Amino acid sequence: MNSQTSIKARNYAASSSLLKRNIHKFLDNKLALIGLIVVVMMTAACIIGALAGVDYETPNLYVMKSPPMPGHPFGTDTIGRDLFARVLYGGCFSIFIGVFCAVMSSAIGATLGAVAGYCGGWTDKVIVRISEIFQAFPQLVLVMMLVAIVNKRGLGNLLLIFVATGWMTTFRMVRNEFLSLKGETYVKVSEAFGMSKQNIMFKQVLPNVMSPIIVSTTTNVAFFILQEAALSFIGLGVADKTPTWGNILNVAKSVSVVTDQWWIWVFPGLSISLFVLAINFLGDGLRDVLDPKQQ
Amino acid sequence: MKKVFAFLMSVVMALGVFASCGPQQDSDSSENSGTSAPEFEESSLKLVLSTADGSSTDDRIPTPWYNRNMATNLMFRSLFIADSTLTSVKPDLADYTISDDGLIYEITVKDGLKWSDGEPLTAEDVVFSIKTAQKAASINAIYTSAFAKITDMVVEGNILTIKLAEPYASMVDVLAQFAILPKHVLKDSDPLTIDSDPFWQHPVTSGFYTIDEFKVGNYFTLKPNEYYEGEPPKIKKVTVSFVTDYVTAAQSGIADYLHGNATDIVEALRKTQKYTAYEVDVLFYKYFIFNMKGIDGKENAAMQNVAVRKAIIEAIDRAALTLLYPNASVLNSGVPDSYDAYNGFSYQFDAEQAKEDLKAAGYDFNRTFKICYYNNDQTSTDLINIVAYYLGQAGLKVETTLSNDGTTDLFTTRDYDLGFKGKSAFSIEEWYTEYLSSDALFANIFGGDTAFDELVAELFAATEEEKRSEVLRQLQALEQEKVYKVPVFTVGTYVFVSNRLKLPQDVRFCNPLYSCDLNFSNWEIA
Amino acid sequence: MCLNWSEKMLKFVIKKLLLMIPMLLLISMIVFFGLQLTGIDPLNFMVSPETLSANAGNIDALRESLGLNAPLIVQYFRWLGICLTGNLGYSFSGAPIAETIAVRLPYTLELAGYSLILSAVIGIGIGLISAIRQNGIVDYAGRIFAVLGQAVPQFLVGIILIQVFSIQLGWFPAANRVSPGAANPFWDGFLHLFLPVMTLTIGMVAVLMRYARNTMLDVLKSDYIKTARSKGIPEWKVYLKHGFRNALKPVLVITMFRIPMLIGGSVVIESVFSYPGIGLTMTNAITSGDYPVVLITTLIIAAAMLICSFMVDVLNALLDPRVRLGE
Repeated sequence: MNSQTSIKARNYAASSSLLKRNIHKFLDNKLALIGLIVVVMMTAACIIGALAGVDYETPNLYVMKSPPMPGHPFGTDTIGRDLFARVLYGGCFSIFIGVFCAVMSSAIGATLGAVAGYCGGWTDKVIVRISEIFQAFPQLVLVMMLVAIVNKRGLGNLLLIFVATGWMTTFRMVRNEFLSLKGETYVKVSEAFGMSKQNIMFKQVLPNVMSPIIVSTTTNVAFFILQEAALSFIGLGVADKTPTWGNILNVAKSVSVVTDQWWIWVFPGLSISLFVLAINFLGDGLRDVLDPKQQ
Repeated sequence: MKKVFAFLMSVVMALGVFASCGPQQDSDSSENSGTSAPEFEESSLKLVLSTADGSSTDDRIPTPWYNRNMATNLMFRSLFIADSTLTSVKPDLADYTISDDGLIYEITVKDGLKWSDGEPLTAEDVVFSIKTAQKAASINAIYTSAFAKITDMVVEGNILTIKLAEPYASMVDVLAQFAILPKHVLKDSDPLTIDSDPFWQHPVTSGFYTIDEFKVGNYFTLKPNEYYEGEPPKIKKVTVSFVTDYVTAAQSGIADYLHGNATDIVEALRKTQKYTAYEVDVLFYKYFIFNMKGIDGKENAAMQNVAVRKAIIEAIDRAALTLLYPNASVLNSGVPDSYDAYNGFSYQFDAEQAKEDLKAAGYDFNRTFKICYYNNDQTSTDLINIVAYYLGQAGLKVETTLSNDGTTDLFTTRDYDLGFKGKSAFSIEEWYTEYLSSDALFANIFGGDTAFDELVAELFAATEEEKRSEVLRQLQALEQEKVYKVPVFTVGTYVFVSNRLKLPQDVRFCNPLYSCDLNFSNWEIA
Repeated sequence: MCLNWSEKMLKFVIKKLLLMIPMLLLISMIVFFGLQLTGIDPLNFMVSPETLSANAGNIDALRESLGLNAPLIVQYFRWLGICLTGNLGYSFSGAPIAETIAVRLPYTLELAGYSLILSAVIGIGIGLISAIRQNGIVDYAGRIFAVLGQAVPQFLVGIILIQVFSIQLGWFPAANRVSPGAANPFWDGFLHLFLPVMTLTIGMVAVLMRYARNTMLDVLKSDYIKTARSKGIPEWKVYLKHGFRNALKPVLVITMFRIPMLIGGSVVIESVFSYPGIGLTMTNAITSGDYPVVLITTLIIAAAMLICSFMVDVLNALLDPRVRLGE
């Protein structure tokens, strides 16, 4: 027992100096830093906007489709709602969708991957089959079925589906890592000490695969935001009452909006692209720092 | 060695699965399209059918028994042909006389008519078509309700005698829309699913044109029908493409003739300056329905008070809503304000008054007011969002649901207060039949109220204009008293014709979902 | 030794293929019963509400003739039986599904196939060049393109391409796969495929380029490249023979692994370009409640995904001796 705590303490000291080094390394990576700043600023702007209670829902048919002007910095949409307010408010939902789904699907993927990789045998086989089925299942059909069953195009549906269909890549990655780490000496030693399986899986082995998980979670945020936009485009996204970047951008379906009212789609489109870009830079930066092997 | 083999094998597998079909497909398409010269595209009339609005699928010609469209109008004829009002007809395949009591129609089919395969077109085809239509599932209700009145049909030579159970004022107008189909080709197919018969890829036709080539998922082309007995059309070739978006089709130049009522299509086509727009008055109703009471007696308690229903109409600025469409006019009953039979009553928008009235009527502002709609185009979504906003201003807690399956949700599940509908009607009668206690759908939400039954029956039997107007005024008063439906507006449609076409002077367009005389044989490509 | 290996390989392949059958069955059951749970009445899509009220009798007959009155389990096995005979049944709109698929599947395979080849060639090519000339012009341009390509929603790219190239410039058709009366079907096909293939390719290239670059960089840093260089082998030979060959394998695996992304993308892109493939068929079937078609298209897409993951497994097994066959 005693020796274990001391190992822990030593580990802690080592990791804190590693952390410092990593932070330096990260700060040196200009693109990653810019990415981080953009992500933080956009998120903050959206949250502040939403908290300040910007008016995103009042239609005014007499000023519909008006180009950017004082009072409406981004112009107004097809029914005269202020686009600036909608992009801010919608940003909250889009970013929430991205972050929530990425974190949840990573958590599920990592847990299942750890269990499957560590336990092996039938458990592994069953979980792998399940993951393959989920992977093979067209997301679109799942969304459609859920929407029809619940009879609502709500945010909850979308979150559920994204998480349900998004955990497999993390799962594969973690499982593979576990398969190769299982044979390492420290795992054997822990087993010999009689440590519980959960303890070994989640406290001893999992921390070793944390870096790739963090990196893939980051890039998944971007993936889910894009995914939400694509689903909105084919009419299966969140109901229009809850603005998201995806369903604001949805009006780009109308060709006359694309040609004549550029501001209606350019601003939400830019927001998506900028945010996704920043997240990707951030993810690349994190990869460089945390996982030099993958660079 | 092993690795090289492995590598080769995987590459072959990967490419094999995903690429082998490419060249194959190309050679397949060459069989069909190698026949035509490049300049043909300019000499053919280019039409489009939309697969996005559910009116057509891209693997067959849409049945003319549901909605008509330009392509099917050019292929299938009816007994009579209507003018642009759809209520005045001339003989086409046949002529007719009606007995004084309006119960016996004597229809004389022209001599020497032939189908595009050379077989004679006779009164037997007419009887076959009507009998099949009575059993068909996918068919416009104007035919089923009219043909339900037929008690007997007798053919003698080229004369068909139709007997009715009771007079039906618009029977001739309906027959002028009803496409006659060939008995000799279709007699063995299932009347129930006649709209999906393989016939619709290679139909035998009676009109100007017949099918030339059908390319599933892409287009079909028409060539002149050599057995057409009238003046042959000047345009010798027609191509009909399946598209998902009319605006893109117009802008990329694959459509000579289009129609639409939405702002984006009107604006976009006006901008191209390649089209002439014709404004057409049609009875396209946009309206709300209150979920009142099922025939099972299940009541929606909150909507029972008529004062509540009236206050809800007051809360909506319908005049502002018309701005969503390029050509919409506010409606106050089933009869448009511009008609002589309109009774002059109108609902006024007053948000404050509405709030007062709702309070006075004892409406519970804490309950969630549910709106259900099923059109998923942008304009409808916009409209619902605005209505939700207005009702929110009146103090209601509003929730909107886009239904995947409008019919079930509106008439079976019934978990809503206000439902949004659209209806492109052939005549005003269709608006009022929805109030009938026998209407299989609306009885489910209006509780099978019999108050309208007698007046609607009178309307159908009214053969004189004056009598009809009087009945209509009574019906309007009744519906404005009951407030089961909230008329919002009627939407006018535009027909767009490419400037490449030269139309005869006297062409008047009708509702593009129906058929009328457009003097088509004199259309030319400039 | 060699025989033993190929025997093992064969066993592995057969086992994997056989495993796909129960998985497809399971997927078909999930979709079949899931669709029933939705409570949607397909007749409401086939027949207008007005008609529904006017001819209730005909509608009941139609329901009976479509077999919608039988118990669910019976319906499922009836459907399965029909599928096993190979004719795939009929859509609710009456079209034989096998025929629909026969026309549309090749269209989608064309779209996906060309995009795959094009993006593999461009993506891997630029990726390798930018690794060799790290921080050169190609590297920077390529990396900027890669980031942008991943950041813009694919459907938006499609819409913009249509706007610019088919509406403003009029170079390419905006919809469909075949034009009426095209003089040269190959040229016509090229014109129709160009924009959708480009749209899909842009997204894929971005991904592949990054992987290819990173992998090649790893390889170039490795010991045997250093050894090769020290032996005095010409630089181009080092890159081609040692670098490229070693980097290509993992990149090919990744390419396979990304095919599902291509399939998912083509569902949306087909809708943008009114391209009459499987994806558009599925989207339309979903919005029109055409269950039989939803079922079959879902299964086709699922099968494609399973085949891809099967190929990844096989490739992995072939390329990496550490992965034991049968695991």
